[in-house]
Amino acid sequence: MSQPRDFRLTDGTVIDHLPVGTAARALELLGLPREGPITVGINIPSPSQGRKDIVRVEGLFLEKPELDRLALLGKHLTVTIVHEGTISEKTVLDVPERLIGILTCRNPTCVTNAEEVQTVFFKQEGYPYRFKCEYCERITEPGEAL
Amino acid sequence: MGGVGPRSYTSPLMAHDGHAGEAFRGRSVVSAEDFTKDEILALLDAARHYDRYQDDGPSFSGIEPSLQGRVLGLLFFEPSTRTRLSFESAMLRLGGKVLGFADAKISSFSKGETLVDTIRVVEGYCDAVVLRHPREGAARLAAEVASIPVLNGGDGSNQHPTQTFLDLYTIRQAAGTLDGLKVGFMGDLRYGRTVHSLTTALLHFDVDLKFIGPENLSLPKDLRDHLESQGRLGAEAESLADVGDLDVLYVTRIQQERFPDPMDYQRVRNAYRVDREALAPFGPELKILHPLPRVNEVATEVDDLPGALYFQQSRNGVTVRMALLDLILGGQAGGSVS
Repeated sequence: MSQPRDFRLTDGTVIDHLPVGTAARALELLGLPREGPITVGINIPSPSQGRKDIVRVEGLFLEKPELDRLALLGKHLTVTIVHEGTISEKTVLDVPERLIGILTCRNPTCVTNAEEVQTVFFKQEGYPYRFKCEYCERITEPGEAL
Repeated sequence: MGGVGPRSYTSPLMAHDGHAGEAFRGRSVVSAEDFTKDEILALLDAARHYDRYQDDGPSFSGIEPSLQGRVLGLLFFEPSTRTRLSFESAMLRLGGKVLGFADAKISSFSKGETLVDTIRVVEGYCDAVVLRHPREGAARLAAEVASIPVLNGGDGSNQHPTQTFLDLYTIRQAAGTLDGLKVGFMGDLRYGRTVHSLTTALLHFDVDLKFIGPENLSLPKDLRDHLESQGRLGAEAESLADVGDLDVLYVTRIQQERFPDPMDYQRVRNAYRVDREALAPFGPELKILHPLPRVNEVATEVDDLPGALYFQQSRNGVTVRMALLDLILGGQAGGSVS
């Protein structure tokens, strides 16, 4: 897909291969907009996944916890870091086997919703992603718990 | 059994497996899922030794006061009769002492103290704690925080592992085996933590699992998915008459306190009840278990049937918890006696 010159990043991050319909959720998870221009593409044709969403954010560089959150939105998301108009790093996001302090347990009587304790979730086999709360042992999907 | 003194005492667990004692010593008991089949069998084998206490009563002298000088904390934030008293009885019979509370209202919990702070305080007063708490995951959290073993006496509708051990013990005691059985669970399959724990533990064995209950109290999705993924989700029926052959029937109370909506409780409270007529098709060999307390789900006329094991099951709570405490606290069963 050709991209208008004005939409290219100088210094920032491209979040690509988002499942269709998750771009807005990605912005929400990252607390965007902050400063700097943002370009959002929705329902973009993609050779690998048919259609996809894409988000480009000028001036944004993500930390590990933010990447872990983003990774939950779909399989094989890529994050590309651009410096001075050229790609400096491209990463396929991987979902950690153990998520600490990222998800909220949706079980209202889970102890993590009553005590000051970081949540811990273990990734279960298969996709869509499912996670087991270390404490109450309930299974949750990230869409419910992010 | 007079004459069995410390010098001649042989650890029941060491007789089974020299390494299994190490697997329990100092260990918390949070979830039945944390224990391997070998560890469970080792515990059940060790517990046989303490059956003799039941047979001979207080005159039995074959059990060493191996936990003399040890203190067990009983932190019960929810009501309990069997779990609390059987742990207490087990500890006293092993020569130890107990402290604690049976009502959250008389603890600092009522002043807003967190569970974590409570545990950090109480661990300075005792060698292990038994915790019953309304929050699921409370025992896991307590075990992470505490420097002493935490035994889960029930965490909300999640797990009740020591109940599971005594359930397994009772089934094996009555049937002679844990393999080749058809085990039916009836009643509250959704909120009944004993059902969840025992079902999970029975996956270690060659057992047909069957489920009888109303649709709105059917197995929780997680457990159902787990059983399905293992190919172990057996027959499901809304009526006992439709479930087919059974060797063991595990009946549970419809628990009002587990229902977020009281109207849901009213709709099902009288729906599941077994009496002699309902049990007749299964014959006299059927083993009937119930974690107790019962309300009206097992008619009292059933109590005299040879397969009515629920009071024996309750007594076995002491037997199994004696073995567990002895192993965890490194008493005689842990193999410390030469």
